[in-house]
Amino acid sequence: MTKAAELAKMGEVLTNSQIGGRRNMIINGACQVAQRGTSSTGLGGSAPGYTTVDRWQMSVGATSAGRFSTAQVAVTDLPGFANAFHLDCTTADTSIAAGEVLKIDYKIEGQDLQQLKKGTSDAEKVTVSFYMKTNKAFTFMCELDDRDNNRVNTQQFTTTTSWTRHVLTFAGDTTGTLNDDNALSIAVTFFLHAGSDFTGGTYSANTWQSRQSSDNMRAVGIGSFFDSTDNDIKITGLQMEVGSQATPFEHRSFGEELALCQRYYYRTPRYINSGIGANESIATGNMDGSTVGAFLIRFPQLMRDAPTAFEQSGTASHYSVRVTSDANGTSVPTSGDFMSDSAFVNLTASGAGFTSGDGAFLRVENTSAFLAWSAEL
Amino acid sequence: MIYGVGYTHSGVDFYKRVDDDGKTRVFCVAKHPPFQDWLRSNKDNLPNDIQAKVDDGMLTIEDAD
Repeated sequence: MTKAAELAKMGEVLTNSQIGGRRNMIINGACQVAQRGTSSTGLGGSAPGYTTVDRWQMSVGATSAGRFSTAQVAVTDLPGFANAFHLDCTTADTSIAAGEVLKIDYKIEGQDLQQLKKGTSDAEKVTVSFYMKTNKAFTFMCELDDRDNNRVNTQQFTTTTSWTRHVLTFAGDTTGTLNDDNALSIAVTFFLHAGSDFTGGTYSANTWQSRQSSDNMRAVGIGSFFDSTDNDIKITGLQMEVGSQATPFEHRSFGEELALCQRYYYRTPRYINSGIGANESIATGNMDGSTVGAFLIRFPQLMRDAPTAFEQSGTASHYSVRVTSDANGTSVPTSGDFMSDSAFVNLTASGAGFTSGDGAFLRVENTSAFLAWSAEL
Repeated sequence: MIYGVGYTHSGVDFYKRVDDDGKTRVFCVAKHPPFQDWLRSNKDNLPNDIQAKVDDGMLTIEDAD
């Protein structure tokens, strides 16, 4: 690059305010946080959702024979990055039905996208960059999916067997403003496998178009992650920023990323200093009658909205109520009174002679025990 | 994996996700996105307790995004 070109590039970066402040609109782009765990297997039979690395969602369409696993894996061959999101094909599917699809979705709230000025004459270009490494060369599709206006913009990219930084600049869209709220407005999507419902149309690179009547232009020309059990994908360093230049990846501390992730999902205990041990108290409350402990959980971050789901290990004896001694649960804990900052948990534990009104602890009795709330988009 | 009617807390209905090993690991409210995805995918063959909630107007199957 000539000196003049470098100066021009720097000028554009300065004009777009890409220096200073927070540039990357992606949370957990370096895959540091995985509250749900570091590996998940047997995926693909139904919508997998969020499996390992926070904020990175896996989606499937019509039922496919293809199965896969995901993991947060250590990276040793990409300086500056220590973690990646790993997909491994465990069952191949070479007979692709029309409605099949496998994709990674990263979903963003509308109130966090207003700087794109989408739907105005000043609409900004957006640059998506990421590092990807695969077992062989694949052509995949990266898409900006405007869920408020049913509009998409797609760009193909081709992977290699080495870590490659892919940089895709998307045109500004003068049609369709984004809602200024906490709901989903844009998804950054990677199509990894798709049937003709998604591939049968015409590919128009970097062009905003309506998907009101069809999805068949969204994954045209891509390869299939499910074409062999040899296939695997590693991705990290996902960044989305205003402007036409990809600036260096904006690294954030683990603490910052964890707090940002907990707006959407909170799991306890997790990332405890000595790991998750038995007999750990995770909440205080009182006995509501002689058998039911009622406990208030204050979330460490204000969640995006009231949670829509509560998760636990599925085994009642993993949890206990303690007044002066522990009594194991007789059914799995339940939760309610969902607020964006708190929720109640109830655990039934009979036979310990508790008295209504006693102060009580909620405890985990097994390293597999946890409580979690989801306010994902 | 299948969903069923779970419990009611402070007047809010919670639904349970029963995994293939028979364990219930998730309770959710009606608008939980994965639950709504499952409802749309299985709307013609819902379990009786879920279908009853739909028929009573207590549970709405939302359109996809």
